[in-house]
Amino acid sequence: MTKPAEVTRSTTGGIGESPLRPDGALKVRGEFAYSSDLWHEDMVWGVTLRSPHPHARIRSVDLTEALRVPGVHAVLTHQDVPGTNRYGLEHADQPVLAVDLVRYHGEPVALVAADHPETARRAMKRIKVDYEVLTPVSDAEHAVHGDGPRLHRDGNVVRHVPIRRGDQNATAPVVVHGVYEVGMQDQAFLGPESGLAVPAEDGGVDLFVATQWLHVDQRQICYALGLPADKVRLTLAGVGGAFGGREDLSIQVHACLLARHTGKPVKMVYNREESFYGHVHRHPAKLYYEHGATEDGRLVYVRSRIYLDGGAYASSTPAVVANAATLGFGPYNVDNVTMDCWGVYTNNPPCGAMRGFGAVQAGFAYESQMDKLAAALGMDPVEVRVRNAMSEGSTMPTGQVLDSAAPVAELLRLVRDRPMPAERGELDLRAMPGGVSNTTHGEGVVRGVGYAVGVKNICFSEGFDDYSTARLRLEVLGGEPAATIHTAAAEVGQGLVTIEQQIVRTELGIQQVTVHPADTTVGNGGSTSASRQTYVTGGAVKAACEAVREKLLKLAVTRFGEPRANLTPAEIVSVLGTEVIEETVEWRHRPTTALDPETGQGFAHVQYGFAAHRAVVDVDVELGLVKVVELACAQDVGKALNPQAVVGQIHGGSVQGLGLAVMEEIQVTEGKVRNPSFTDYLIPTILDTPPMPVDVLELADPHAPYGLRGVGEPPTISSTPAVVAAIRAATGLALTRVPVRPEHLTLEEPR
Amino acid sequence: MREYRFERPGTVTEAVRRSGSDTAYLAGGTTLVDLMKLEVMTPGRVLDINRLPLRGLDATGGGLRIGALERMTDVAADPRVRLGYPMLSQALELSASGQLRNMASIGGNLLQRTRCGYFRDVSMPCNKRQPGSGCPAIRGENRMHAVLGTSDSCVATHPSDLAVALAALDARVQLQGRDGVRTVNLCDFYLLPADTPHLEHDLRPGELVTGVIVPRLDWAQRSIYLKIRDRQSYEFALSSAAVAIRREGDTIVEARVAVGGMGTRPWRLPAVERALAGRPATSNTYAAAATATVDGTRPLRHNAFKPELMQRTLIRALLELEQTR
Ligand SMILES: Cc1cc2nc3c(=O)[nH]c(=O)nc-3n(C[C@H](O)[C@H](O)[C@H](O)COP(=O)(O)OP(=O)(O)OC[C@H]3O[C@@H](n4cnc5c(N)ncnc54)[C@H](O)[C@@H]3O)c2cc1C
Ligand code: SF4
Repeated sequence: MTKPAEVTRSTTGGIGESPLRPDGALKVRGEFAYSSDLWHEDMVWGVTLRSPHPHARIRSVDLTEALRVPGVHAVLTHQDVPGTNRYGLEHADQPVLAVDLVRYHGEPVALVAADHPETARRAMKRIKVDYEVLTPVSDAEHAVHGDGPRLHRDGNVVRHVPIRRGDQNATAPVVVHGVYEVGMQDQAFLGPESGLAVPAEDGGVDLFVATQWLHVDQRQICYALGLPADKVRLTLAGVGGAFGGREDLSIQVHACLLARHTGKPVKMVYNREESFYGHVHRHPAKLYYEHGATEDGRLVYVRSRIYLDGGAYASSTPAVVANAATLGFGPYNVDNVTMDCWGVYTNNPPCGAMRGFGAVQAGFAYESQMDKLAAALGMDPVEVRVRNAMSEGSTMPTGQVLDSAAPVAELLRLVRDRPMPAERGELDLRAMPGGVSNTTHGEGVVRGVGYAVGVKNICFSEGFDDYSTARLRLEVLGGEPAATIHTAAAEVGQGLVTIEQQIVRTELGIQQVTVHPADTTVGNGGSTSASRQTYVTGGAVKAACEAVREKLLKLAVTRFGEPRANLTPAEIVSVLGTEVIEETVEWRHRPTTALDPETGQGFAHVQYGFAAHRAVVDVDVELGLVKVVELACAQDVGKALNPQAVVGQIHGGSVQGLGLAVMEEIQVTEGKVRNPSFTDYLIPTILDTPPMPVDVLELADPHAPYGLRGVGEPPTISSTPAVVAAIRAATGLALTRVPVRPEHLTLEEPR
Repeated sequence: MREYRFERPGTVTEAVRRSGSDTAYLAGGTTLVDLMKLEVMTPGRVLDINRLPLRGLDATGGGLRIGALERMTDVAADPRVRLGYPMLSQALELSASGQLRNMASIGGNLLQRTRCGYFRDVSMPCNKRQPGSGCPAIRGENRMHAVLGTSDSCVATHPSDLAVALAALDARVQLQGRDGVRTVNLCDFYLLPADTPHLEHDLRPGELVTGVIVPRLDWAQRSIYLKIRDRQSYEFALSSAAVAIRREGDTIVEARVAVGGMGTRPWRLPAVERALAGRPATSNTYAAAATATVDGTRPLRHNAFKPELMQRTLIRALLELEQTR
């Protein structure tokens, strides 16, 4: 059997260094074993029959013809789900397999296992489903306030978060209004959903899968299979990117169901098209804003209404709504705020976690408003931001006081004061809008500069018991002290395994550190999301090191007859001898509290991360083509545990934001996905990717391990509005919707 | 994918003899295999033509003859194409990606199918795929669709960049079938959708494209292919133009103009060519000539920007051409 990749040993390097990642060379050489490479001798292949309709009643399902296909081992429907046919991250509202109603285009209806993937697909096409097609609900705002059908028992509102603080009737001399829209973005990870479920003799199942959160998968699988946790064992397989798209289930329950029915190992791999149906996307949003300010540019009030289209099932919509609401005014001091943020059920594809998680949509809107305000005041856009910038001690609209660094003004100044990229001089056509497509030698090209700053909560919020578990084993191997660190936290490409090793090396003063494959034989590691793993799992690893060191130092007293503060590797060897020290530690960050359901007040978030961008663009204003010339970022990361990984995260987040600004959108018409391929859903190529100089601040957060601040998400928030602001500066257009496409630049009326 | 038989004929005659209504020729496979996976194309037999002697690029006697199985990469890089017919090289190099161009053939490129999302989704109706079933694009997602040559049955764009440049060059397509060989003008080779959008070209059952002839045109040395797309590279044309100009001093004597991303087939614009001929090579001339494009355009809900973009594309192509050498 091909098992998950051994990527667990690496070179040297403690915290603050940038050791080579153990999986790096393998990935570059194409030798890394991703979940889609899993293999078992007598495995069969599973496929999923999905609904072609966004909204339909199922009158009947006929499996007869499919079962007749030679090579087919099982054809399953909801009737074969032994436990509860429901799952979901926050609400269990999604059927494992549809019963009598399908609520989105691509909803799973039946499963087939066969000895060859093509046989399975052919059998799948012989399943006859008789649908009564219903009109899809496709407009989120109308789904809340309109008189259309109710898609779930409790109506169409997944969650409404209001925020009321200060004077609700405040007035101001300068007022700007805006209505903004954000299209549906995809995580566009490269490794499609895949995994291998192996039935076990004890009646349980072992699942190898690419995911972001093993234990929450396990919980949902147990519920659907009606099995106790010790019968459902998960091991993380090689993950090819995630960005939030693997937080919900895809193949997990399906593969386990098929494995238990066939008694054979079952492999499932989505193709690219199915992957678009098989994971949640970023919520498309419509956002209404009104900003009131004094004549010298100080915010008096902000009022906002936000509609986030959650699609057919809840997924993590409730948490996304809370983020969009609580972060929806940006990192600005304003005393009087009114917010109503809705997450809504429709018949569009389900939306859930994606890097930035609610803060991205709001960020595009509030930053567009700040530019509008600057224009109304005749003020410099950076100046208006700096004048209102939060700092340590500021109060969030939730009433929470920022009790660590919040260098908003400093980040803005850093990107502003950077030298500008060179004017177009020597002609390098690749650097022009249109690239090498012969569109220009400079004709029609106008340069624009735009700024934005954003805020993102780090870790899980609103009273969630957010923790991670680390098991550390210290022993002597080959005459050297050697540690093995074991967590269930998912490495999805961000570099967690490197960080875990760095922490152990620093804390124990040893070199040889092995990371055990992540699985469910150790306690919950929490999700690889909310920029939280280095903080929470890093914190758990550090705490496990401290527990091990305490035991080690006790042994040292016996050995040396006196206490020692530190031990050299040689001393550790002599103290340990043949002894093994193993400690398992659960580590939590400080608790948060729920939001007041009427006023949205509360200590909701553990930590806030801030980043600012300056985008410089060249726009061919006649042809509507944009080239981002440079995208500079400044971010406070508290402490850069691995400086190279920090810059990598900032680059990646910036480009994902750039993609949303100018090209990325899943087109959904009447509930149907129209571009489920990487030929039709565009992500930036390297020619679209500009130089991205980065300034990293390290202002320690006293509450966090090593003072660190989560890095992954903040740059995704300010990147999009900065790019659009720069395009506005070049064109004078209003541009209230992302992504901005050529026709918006050639056809739109000037603002 | 449906089951199919795979055959590898060794000669053109054998290939033609073996082909029937249920067969498809396989060249680079970059269109065919994709559409077979989607079950948009479901041939019972696939005839791999890669062993046939349809390679070679010949420039003897003026003009070019390009074998149908020549790869896009090789043709684009050939100095005779690069120097003599830059718009051809450019149209090829601005197509698809390097990997695809290494596989894809010239014949296959001319016969690639539309990227219309409904055509590619077998759960949807589509007149091109299933005559008489309807055209959801007319009221649905139609941003990338055509504004020229459309009908009430189909509004799909022809996606080939190469074909646009070839249309401007009066290229001819060489065919061989059971009844022998023939040559047709590329512009006549492509059919308008009318009420039979499933008939895309004048290719008789079993007929093979054996090559493409580009008639000699010395002044095509001064030509350009300009492409507008949603990202810097690796994307189909939202709008494109192939332009060649013959100038004497500051006067345009003759012009060749075709556009892509606009029509249901590669679209030659004789009215624009006439409006350019005999006029001074100035931006006024270009702007005036470009207005001749809008005649007969039928914009849809999401592509209303295209007629205007087509004009701007053309004007820019004429300006850019002045900058070359
Ligand atoms: C991701 C992607 C992006 C692309 N982007 C572009 C782009 O920007 N611009 C562009 O112009 N194209 C683009 N293409 C299309 C690409 O250029 C074509 O797929 C390619 O040229 C087809 O050539 P082939 O040899 O692979 O054809 P095949 O797939 O082998 O064949 C295509 C069709 O032609 C038939 N056929 C092939 N050769 C012959 C012959 N000699 N005689 C008779 N019938 C024949 C086949 O039966 C089939 O129906 C893109 C394709 C992809 C997949
Ligand atoms: S435009 Fe043509 S290809 Fe597209 S759906 Fe309509 S008929 Fe089919």
